[in-house]
Amino acid sequence: MSGIGELDRPETPRSPGAWDPRSRTCPSDGTVTAESSDGDASHPGVAETDRGRGVPPAEDRRPERSGRPRAGAGRDGVGLGCDGHGHAGGSRDGAGREGTGAREGGVAGGEIRDGRRSPSPSAGRRSAADPVKGLLHRHRDLCERAVDPLEIAAGLEAHGLTDRTAARFRHRDVFSLAEEMYARVPRGGDTPARTEDAPAPRPGGPRAAGVVLAVLPGVLCAAAVVGLRLSDGRPRLIVAAVGVLAVILALGAALRRGPLSSATRSTSAWTCWLVGYALLGDGLLRDAVTGGPDGLPDGSAAGPWPVTVVPVLALALSYAPAVGCAHLFVAGARRKLSSSRGLADFSASVRPLLLGTFALYMGALAALLALTGAALGEPAAHPQALTLGALLLLARLLTVHGHTHAATLVLAATATAEAAALATLFAGRLPGFGLLSAPVEALVAVCGPAGVPTAACGIGAVTLLVHASRRLTRASAHAPTERTP
Amino acid sequence: MDNRPSRHLLVRIRSSRCEPPGQRRLTKREIGGARVRIGLLTEGGYPYVSGEAGLWCDRLVRGLEQHEFDVYALSRTEREEAEGWVPLPSQVGRVRTAPLWETVDDGIVHGRRARRRFAESYGDLAMALCTGAPGDPSASLAGEPGAGPAEGPGEGPGRESAEASEGRSALEADRFASALYGLAELARDEGGLPAALRSETAVRALERACRAPGAHRAAREARVPDLLTVAARLERALRPLSLDWYEDDDLGSVDLCHATSGGTAALPGLLARHFCDVPLLVTEYGVRLRTHYLTEPDSSPAIRALLAAFHGRLATETYRRAAVITPGNTHARRWQERCGADRAKLRTVHPGMDATPFAEAGEFPDCADPQTLVWVGRVEPAKDLVSLLHAFAEVRRAEPAARLRIVGTPSGPEGAAYLAHCKGLAAQLFPDEADGPHAVGRNPVSFEEIGGPELPSRADAYAAGALVVLSSVVEGFPSGLVEAMLCGRATVSTDVGAVVEAIGGTGLVVPPRNPRALAEACVALLRDPERRERLGAAARARALELFTVEQNVAAFHGIYLEILARTPVRRVLLDDTGEPLPFGVPAEAHVPGRWSDPVARVAARGGPGEPRSGPPGWATDGPVRATAPVSATEGAAR
Repeated sequence: MSGIGELDRPETPRSPGAWDPRSRTCPSDGTVTAESSDGDASHPGVAETDRGRGVPPAEDRRPERSGRPRAGAGRDGVGLGCDGHGHAGGSRDGAGREGTGAREGGVAGGEIRDGRRSPSPSAGRRSAADPVKGLLHRHRDLCERAVDPLEIAAGLEAHGLTDRTAARFRHRDVFSLAEEMYARVPRGGDTPARTEDAPAPRPGGPRAAGVVLAVLPGVLCAAAVVGLRLSDGRPRLIVAAVGVLAVILALGAALRRGPLSSATRSTSAWTCWLVGYALLGDGLLRDAVTGGPDGLPDGSAAGPWPVTVVPVLALALSYAPAVGCAHLFVAGARRKLSSSRGLADFSASVRPLLLGTFALYMGALAALLALTGAALGEPAAHPQALTLGALLLLARLLTVHGHTHAATLVLAATATAEAAALATLFAGRLPGFGLLSAPVEALVAVCGPAGVPTAACGIGAVTLLVHASRRLTRASAHAPTERTP
Repeated sequence: MDNRPSRHLLVRIRSSRCEPPGQRRLTKREIGGARVRIGLLTEGGYPYVSGEAGLWCDRLVRGLEQHEFDVYALSRTEREEAEGWVPLPSQVGRVRTAPLWETVDDGIVHGRRARRRFAESYGDLAMALCTGAPGDPSASLAGEPGAGPAEGPGEGPGRESAEASEGRSALEADRFASALYGLAELARDEGGLPAALRSETAVRALERACRAPGAHRAAREARVPDLLTVAARLERALRPLSLDWYEDDDLGSVDLCHATSGGTAALPGLLARHFCDVPLLVTEYGVRLRTHYLTEPDSSPAIRALLAAFHGRLATETYRRAAVITPGNTHARRWQERCGADRAKLRTVHPGMDATPFAEAGEFPDCADPQTLVWVGRVEPAKDLVSLLHAFAEVRRAEPAARLRIVGTPSGPEGAAYLAHCKGLAAQLFPDEADGPHAVGRNPVSFEEIGGPELPSRADAYAAGALVVLSSVVEGFPSGLVEAMLCGRATVSTDVGAVVEAIGGTGLVVPPRNPRALAEACVALLRDPERRERLGAAARARALELFTVEQNVAAFHGIYLEILARTPVRRVLLDDTGEPLPFGVPAEAHVPGRWSDPVARVAARGGPGEPRSGPPGWATDGPVRATAPVSATEGAAR
């Protein structure tokens, strides 16, 4: 009974007398009695009695732990024997596990009482003054990344630590052990080496399918225009119908993926109306002012109801740069998201990005307009096409980032304004309603027929630009949407 | 005058309602009992085929057929929902489900006042999350600037500061609770909570809380993507707030809510308690908070800190409000106590296992081969079969005739690799042995699987050996060990998880990772058949008393009645003019059998086989309003 390590361990029973009567009845033939008393003991009290006997209350031990070093080598075998549950007690320690005494004691549920052996030298080395140190070293990762002691406790338990093992580290339970470990892990500079996230796989990157889909509407539209130019009469009608259908289908397919795809309901009806107006509206307006139209459009710019193909073709071709710009914006925003420190910081850095990508698209659209105008030998119709393009891009960006409401509203208002302009012109022909058509006629007189769509789309685009520069620069607009399968 | 607050019935999240098929029976009459209408709250659980703990819930519901169950289920994944439900017994009155996996948006945009209410509540919630961790005074101190690193090893905070921080943590808990209920009330009055929880207002509130003085150190490091992730995760976790379950004819009409796990599943119970004063019973077989710590992937410290704080505070609030908490084992109980559960509310209810398959093996213990050790389980590294093989090598040195049968299938690729490793080790340690020079040899260690001709069932596997060994390094509640106990086998197991709690004094327990101790325990039992038999009989008796389904069901039955007796739901019945109706709910309402239900009488006349068509008694006599509308809608819904 005289291990040197016992002297400073007041908590362990020194003699067999320190054991309670129940533990003495325990050895091998005592199992059934243990069972009989177990009906109530198996209720949660078990752990408490278990701990209470083998291990001292925490207050007794804590000062020692950090205090003097001790020759705690001889701890094995102290708690041997049964503790009423037929398993070897609560105070085996690291040394004891290796030492032979604990092995026997652990085996037979208290049959071997004299299991105390002199500690082997290796055991002496292993159980140093500070048993937690080794544990800390082993679980350094866990402790350093833990945000609170409970996380360490959960991790330790997942590694198989129980309250009885915690007793080896002179703690009442895993929680207090975890608290000590949490407190002892140095968190000095306290900027945990932030693992810079590997550059996220670029969403919808320039893969072949995406590129093809982005270019497809423009190509189809160009083909349709060429077809219109080359055909005449009834075939021209068929070409026009097929062309319109093909472009719409291609656009629908292209909008289903890539950075311009959105999960919410779309605004396609208003968009179709706006594009249709770009195609036919100017001619109709000009005719309406001069008393026409005298016939249905025949698909040419010289007919009684002239068709302006250039802006529509340029818009269709500009779908590819629009996708590119949206991609730039999304990728840039994501980069800014991970690099900025605060929300205000993020907003400030995203605003130039948004305006930059917007300007880029405008430039691309203007170039395409000039190009198609030159190729088709028609006026490029810059103002109305540019404002329409701006409006459509901004509306789409807002929709993609979850602000469907405003986009729909503005698109609807613009389309209604255009329709109203036409309607007032025709209504002005009725006797007595001449006043109705006066504003539109004045506008057309000043700016030509392009003035109406330019004004409508321009106002809409500016509204959306202001809205987008407030909404799309918020971090919540760029939150990754996750969906569990 | 109906002066109750106005409650709009906003169907916010797609939610289904259905009645179980088949015929209804009359309830069994039980002397001295009472009929309880239980709202069973599950998350990714019971009525779904693939739900976890579904078997337990099913046994509970089927075992308590004198009560009535309404199941309120939250589904976690789309696949789970697609796989459908288990067949429901007739005591399940209704099932309402809501998905947690899809992004919902009811399209409601808050007005100015609602926005201000939301910002206030959410700001409080965020502040409560950012300041310290629950039940952990040292962390809240460490969160103060300069206090953390300066704190030396082992120096606990002083007594006064501990007290102060205790008071502070109570204050924080209150703050969290009021913020939570504030959000719930907002969702009930105005709707539109999911969108608001994802809005910029929410993210800003989180940022402000993280940058506030006294915020948790990890939270202070939060960057924009972290804030967005936290907001999204909180939105998901708080989705039960937007459900339309807290009306008088839903959770308001049950006698008690039984949450089958903590965390999100308990949230409807908390709200039902808040809105309708329905007592809450929380059962946790695995502590949600702990699961959260272990399953949280390698996200940034800020995300982990904030979400851990949320789950911790939610657990604390749940434990505070619950009438009774039933942990499944001591381990869960310790965690609950740690999170602030009052000991007076805790009742450990051990999981129940079906004893019938093991009855035969348990009653005829002599059919076993006296020299055979058996290990049964799923093969994975945590089971430490290597240590078992080393131990068996020592056993062989003492008892050369001993054999070891390892019965189990590997779990996953890791398990398969581990199994191959173990087979290699066994071949190295034990050469094949033959009885004579002309016999075919065989290895003393055999690896087998259940389902073959030799071992058709688990009971046969246990019955094949005289001694069942468990060598795990990590273990939760050891169901395999309990099965061995039910088979009446003596066991030697390692001291991990809830092993000691399960085995009590009826088997030998050795330290984990100690092959020699394991070997010596095995040898001791192999050499002593009498002791083996005694231990086996004791183990079976213990398992039959503590770990059977019947015990489990009876315990819950008792707890239901106890809750009903201690905290009955007092509902004021209103008559047609809105005046309180005196004696509207007499005590007889809880007498088993549908005393006031004309339909039940009709059914009684028609015999027990008669299908019940009308609303059950509880739909008409229990809930709040005695006027026609409620029962009419109920009737229409049924």
